[in-house]
Amino acid sequence: MFGYILPEKPEMKIKEYELFRAYYCGVCKSLGRRSGQLKRFLLNYDSAFLAVLLSAVSGDTPVVKQETCIAHPIVKRYVVKNNGIVDYASDINVLLAYYNLEDDKQDEGTFISHAGTVLLRRTFKKLKRKYPAKCDIIESRLNELHKLEKEVCTSMDMAAEPFAKLMEEVTAYEPLCKDKKINDILRWIGYNLGKWIYILDAYDDIEDDIKDKSYNPLVSQFDYANEAEAGFKERIRDRVEFNLTCSLDQIAKAFELLEVKNNVGILENIIYMGMLRKTEKILGIGSCRKVEKSV
Amino acid sequence: MKNPYEILGIREGASEDEIKKAYREQVKKYHPDQYQDNPLSSLAEEKLKELNEAYDYLMKNASPRKESASYNNSRSWNNQGDNDFFNQVRVHVNSGNVKVAEDMLNGYSNRTAPWYYLKGLIFMRKGWYDEAYSHMQTAVNMDPSNFEYRNALNKMNTANNNYRGNAYNRGYNRGGPDLCTVCQCLWCSDCCCECGGGDLIGCC
Repeated sequence: MFGYILPEKPEMKIKEYELFRAYYCGVCKSLGRRSGQLKRFLLNYDSAFLAVLLSAVSGDTPVVKQETCIAHPIVKRYVVKNNGIVDYASDINVLLAYYNLEDDKQDEGTFISHAGTVLLRRTFKKLKRKYPAKCDIIESRLNELHKLEKEVCTSMDMAAEPFAKLMEEVTAYEPLCKDKKINDILRWIGYNLGKWIYILDAYDDIEDDIKDKSYNPLVSQFDYANEAEAGFKERIRDRVEFNLTCSLDQIAKAFELLEVKNNVGILENIIYMGMLRKTEKILGIGSCRKVEKSV
Repeated sequence: MKNPYEILGIREGASEDEIKKAYREQVKKYHPDQYQDNPLSSLAEEKLKELNEAYDYLMKNASPRKESASYNNSRSWNNQGDNDFFNQVRVHVNSGNVKVAEDMLNGYSNRTAPWYYLKGLIFMRKGWYDEAYSHMQTAVNMDPSNFEYRNALNKMNTANNNYRGNAYNRGYNRGGPDLCTVCQCLWCSDCCCECGGGDLIGCC
């Protein structure tokens, strides 16, 4: 369910691209330093976006250094250093990865999910002590989600609600949310991000879910009746596209109210183009049909 | 008051035309129509007020403001034909008491077109776009002659076009080869070079 929030690289300025990567590397290094080297495999682009967004809202200029790392041992890359927001993004990355593995373990019980939760347990406990309120909310949202899945909920809005609320919670970074205005805007961005991710992921998983007979909100809302999967996806495409674009439109509108001064180019690129590109790719209406996983 | 030039996003000492142009663009962006049924509408109104103040301030020295404060934020509802109950619900929706409005509607059994319309508005505020759309659609089907319902449904569609328009203005999908084409070209050139004995891309 993660890694959908990507920039539209061809439309980025080089300096924006470098800075985005510096945030990405910053989150990665923070993961390694604070949670252990192994956790760096959990890194995803969504947390880099979170770091860029929150950092823009805070208004602080990031401290950037050139460093090497395991993946790039020779050429030095820019890395955002000593940044509380980057650390927060990396914590959230681990937390969500842990909950995701826990979820897989209960659903499918694969070896990886068992091994993963064991490896992550200690870090998870540490983070749970650090963010007790956030963790409680995330857990109760996930329980709601499980309940809706079990009841085979037939409304994508209702099914998406817990995950959207979860993302809302994650985006509301407390030190910035003392300002009511920023709190409201960040929460609305988070809510719509979660909604977009959930529905996009549901559309992406239609074939697999039909094959595995697992719950999929779109399959149950639009009465899938043993038709060809491609035909079904075609039939619901416009409606799903409408919903996804609604969320993106709301994210854009909320973002315009933020009045950020830093990282504007990167954020506009992701919100107006990167996420639209991803939407079109997964719906199969863009120019490149194949979904690319990395930048 | 903040720097009015900064609010309008222009350099200090900009000409009257530049101020007007910037003002118009900004107003379009934060116009109540753009934020209708959006939980952040009050923030947009605040922003608009700020823009109006900045514009008024800058225009005071140059020339009397011609446009007048035509972009005021109060929207009046078309109350004709609706009974008191639905008006009450409307008041709650407008003042942001979505929960109260929703409870009122849920307890009301006479599900006519205005019921579906108001329920649609509430869903929109909550971010339940799919339910909002189907409720608006039902309202329009039940009362096809009602301009307000039809207008609300159209607005949901145009909001999405606005977002896309914004993306295209920023260069999305506009002209030039996309990445796939670039890769294809490179690969073709590589093949050609190899046929000719050279090599464009060393590794393949």
